[in-house]
Amino acid sequence: MASLITCPHCGVRPKEEFSIRGDASLVRPAPTASDEAWHYYVYVRANPRGRTHEHWQHVAGCRRFLVVERDTYTHEVHSVTDGAVVARENGR
Amino acid sequence: MIRDYYNRHALDEKLRGAPRPAGVNHLAIAHRQAVAMVLAQAGEEDTVQRALSQTTEFILRFCASGEWLVVSENDTPEGLQRRLDALCAGRAYIVDQSEARVLFRLSGPSTRRILAKGVGLDLHPAAFATGASANALCGHVAVNLARTGDDTFELIAPRSFAESLFDDLMAMGREYDLTAAFAG
Repeated sequence: MASLITCPHCGVRPKEEFSIRGDASLVRPAPTASDEAWHYYVYVRANPRGRTHEHWQHVAGCRRFLVVERDTYTHEVHSVTDGAVVARENGR
Repeated sequence: MIRDYYNRHALDEKLRGAPRPAGVNHLAIAHRQAVAMVLAQAGEEDTVQRALSQTTEFILRFCASGEWLVVSENDTPEGLQRRLDALCAGRAYIVDQSEARVLFRLSGPSTRRILAKGVGLDLHPAAFATGASANALCGHVAVNLARTGDDTFELIAPRSFAESLFDDLMAMGREYDLTAAFAG
């Protein structure tokens, strides 16, 4: 796993300071969406090989939620963005 | 048994007894200091930072974007709260942390090597200059680490973790003959 994460607020930090909070690419369905859509959103996860987007929380640092784009195969970290910035870009 | 927590420092039990004379590498624990947390309201981060950096009476410690710890050596906790309230003028949430945090001051020529045993940050002056501060993990305790001089660092830790962090720091500094005492 990627061992150094460049936090946009705190700089380069070891992964021990972070807590991984799961897939960041999921979009919350509407409250009235079907049970099936909610089931997929809540329970079903892929185990991808390659680039993934994940929520990492910098619990021992700035405590912000970050979106980390990393490769599960090469362990390369492609980008780290503040979660609020990503949400704003996606219009959420 | 009744304990008066308000008048009892978190490290009283650890530092009981006659203090050893301070060595070259020394850990001083502040007995009385005012600490407050300032959290800027959304969109007001820059305004609050400008307002806070106007004065030199207290020290600003970076925690996260829009969040700082303010440390004052001279103010009382109530005085600091009033002063911050006036400075931020409703643009930030201010919470007094004076009784909730313990301030450790580490000084001496080996401080960087001592801290390297527990902190995953690059503490070279080129990467972490005097005046820099950040939240970091020291051992298993999340602290606010600041560089106050070439060889002096300050750690602000939650009160309930103070004893554990104190033991960690003393173990980290044992090789370098680290001494500890309350700051005069």
